[in-house]
Amino acid sequence: MTTEGVEFAGHELARASLDACVKCTICETACPVSAVTPLFSGPKFVGPQAERFRNGESVDHSLDYCSSCGACTLACPQGVQIAELNSQARAVMKADHMPLRDQLITRTTLMGMMMTPVAPIANAALRNLPIRTIVEKVIGIHRDAPMPPAQTQTLQGWLKKRKVPMKAPTRGPVVFFHGCAGGYFEVETSRKSIEVLEYLGYEVIVPKQGCCGLAQQSNGLFDQASAAVLKLCDELRGAGKDLTIISSSGSCTGMLKHEAHEIMGVSDDKLKDVGTRIRDMMEFLLDLHDAGELPTDFARIDMTVPYHAPCQLKSQGMGQPAVEVLKLIPGLTVVESGAACCGIAGTYGLKKEKYEVAQAVGKPLFDMVKRTNPDLALCDTETCRWQIEQSSGVKTEHPIWMVHRAYGLS
Amino acid sequence: MSRVVVIGVGLAGLTAANRLAAGGVDVTLLSKGIGGLQLGQGTIDVLGYTPDRVTNPVLTLAAIASSRPEHPYAVIGAAGVHTGIEYLKGLLGAKLLVGDVETNYQLPTAVGAIRPTCLASPSMVAGHVRDGAKFAIVGLRRLKDFHPKLVAENLARSALPDGAQPTRSKRSLFGDPIAEAFAKQTPGHLEVRHLSVDVPARENEIDSSGLTYARAFDDPAFRARFAETLRPLLADGETVGLPAVLGLNDLTAWSDVAEKLGHPVFEIPLPPPSVPGMRLNAALTAKAKAAGVRMVPGSWTVGFRAGNGGILGLSVAAAGAQREFTADTFLLATGGFESGALNLDSHGLVTETVFGLPLAGLDAEPLIHGDYWGAEQPLFRVGVRVGRDMRVLDGAGAVVHDNLYAAGGIIGGSSRWAEKSGDGIALGSAVLAADSILKELS
Repeated sequence: MTTEGVEFAGHELARASLDACVKCTICETACPVSAVTPLFSGPKFVGPQAERFRNGESVDHSLDYCSSCGACTLACPQGVQIAELNSQARAVMKADHMPLRDQLITRTTLMGMMMTPVAPIANAALRNLPIRTIVEKVIGIHRDAPMPPAQTQTLQGWLKKRKVPMKAPTRGPVVFFHGCAGGYFEVETSRKSIEVLEYLGYEVIVPKQGCCGLAQQSNGLFDQASAAVLKLCDELRGAGKDLTIISSSGSCTGMLKHEAHEIMGVSDDKLKDVGTRIRDMMEFLLDLHDAGELPTDFARIDMTVPYHAPCQLKSQGMGQPAVEVLKLIPGLTVVESGAACCGIAGTYGLKKEKYEVAQAVGKPLFDMVKRTNPDLALCDTETCRWQIEQSSGVKTEHPIWMVHRAYGLS
Repeated sequence: MSRVVVIGVGLAGLTAANRLAAGGVDVTLLSKGIGGLQLGQGTIDVLGYTPDRVTNPVLTLAAIASSRPEHPYAVIGAAGVHTGIEYLKGLLGAKLLVGDVETNYQLPTAVGAIRPTCLASPSMVAGHVRDGAKFAIVGLRRLKDFHPKLVAENLARSALPDGAQPTRSKRSLFGDPIAEAFAKQTPGHLEVRHLSVDVPARENEIDSSGLTYARAFDDPAFRARFAETLRPLLADGETVGLPAVLGLNDLTAWSDVAEKLGHPVFEIPLPPPSVPGMRLNAALTAKAKAAGVRMVPGSWTVGFRAGNGGILGLSVAAAGAQREFTADTFLLATGGFESGALNLDSHGLVTETVFGLPLAGLDAEPLIHGDYWGAEQPLFRVGVRVGRDMRVLDGAGAVVHDNLYAAGGIIGGSSRWAEKSGDGIALGSAVLAADSILKELS
């Protein structure tokens, strides 16, 4: 039956929240998955309603079609942790028969480590239809699903080789958490984030760091994910006590802020320490602005650009800080996508049986992006950017790219 | 920091946030969820019952304002409600709301009762009951929550609210001369029948929600399929009553259906998820965002900081660390018991959950009586007291915090659900509060 990682205190907490459900159905109106497929009967039914009847493995396997995007939890005015309940019940359901595929695609650091040294070969393989078809048949990753392009240099590689900034820091040190994607695939976003922070006068400490375990968590591999997140906490804490930790990986930040605790019940003090000190990059900039400490001598950028706030960023209860920060750049018009989710939801949209659903979820977003600016879109998390870029054909970058540009750094 | 923090994303909060942003101030709107407006019927109630059925809401509320000093309408006044109604109509336009403050529509409900309401979606008003109307109530076999037989049979045996002298019979509601003539010939009577059609909203689903149907009705091809199935089953002169699922995003879906059927149609609101409520919520939210309102859903307030006679900051439990929102002014638009703005504990203690404000209406004994179907429960009148500028007052009539205003359901003194006065109170207090704040900040 259940493994040790599934027997956690958080489960009890989330279960208790289901009693606050008044069946108002607001979550049903927010769910992007049930909107496009009858395979998922909606968050109210699969969440608090079905949870009352669950004892051990769920008999209703439509649960597996919940993408855990969290739009339902965010919409619930009664505080029911609907997506969290579903993530937990899914972990219990899959405990005895975890697909090999779900174990493989969650090893994000390993993927990056293996692909970087052979980047051209890895990228050619990802573009090769026969190879992708075999991968789909054998492993279950859809042939058209977005895969990150391997880079020839890791972030740590860049940090070692770059010229040390000449300007002496004026604002003290901060810790940068880049996540697996920011370390291996989205190196440019990490680089630009560090450069903006340095421009603002911070000393940026980038400790050696592993994975937050989010992909494992969302696939129900709670034991591995809990170990990963705690190891990461040690690494980030090692960089300095009481320092603000900043990240451009929106969803990994969410894992540290609340998901590891709320979904997996990790209640270690070191997670609490890191979780309360970490800030999303754009959140950090907005906090500075609210405190009157953000220089706003931005260069003019005459452009209209679509912006999509990822589901896992919105679920952090901080609104859409990127929108507020980008508003400060003269000439720049930011159009919010208004979409709940791009469909990928971490690894959900990679899976062959869910690929079509994920594409249908994201379709209004892809259309909106193409309509708004066929050349550039902005989005805070990596997998969402890959999904938007792959499905809309529009280059998609982190909002920090605009800030970097507006400060004259690129 | 913003100049104003609005707490609550119902009708009052959204209306005030829009008006404040239009007035040129920075507004942050904190909310737990995405708005309760979408649980409602997509109509605007000003006054429905006193307990007698109300036909002219603004006239009747003026009478309440002068005879019941504790009622919110006594401070908001008929003029305040009028301003609120006109503001909302202007904001949303005639594709979402029609009507005026001097007349209530009398519209069929999903159980076949006749409900008075002040403003309604243009997609509903052909259902305004009038002498001699000939209704065909049409259900969708795969749609949960709508039972045409129940609606039709209850409507057929209902006495019409305005009897032999229909208030709206002379108005051309949908330009149908046959229906008009019919109405004049048979006063005081509705002719209603029911039927169902089976047009699946999507494959492999036998119990679709109203929301799923509404999304299907956004598609012109689905509308054509639906109209083709239904048209041969309709008789001359019939007005077609349909569940309120005629399009979620396409506000012309209902009129397209009417055109394709060759009959006037009207929507009957369903239990949640309420599609007409979602339309209003989506439109008001989009307007607020376009006006520059910073919206922060998922904000659960956990504490506040007061000083210098006012509120300095409000703490919310964001993921990870708590986050404080500071502002010059705070507007409390959190609603009542139903939204958790008021709490009744097992010892009978009632509290306002954000600021712990003093509450009016607690002196009634008992607060809750045991006669479930009997007289109004005094508990529902509990709420904060406000002055004419909508600042929160204590029991002695003194301002509690210099920069704290209230709007909507948190204001005590009325049983909003029984009177059907909640939307009028929300709108009137929201515009008055917004205007007071704009004046204060200028």
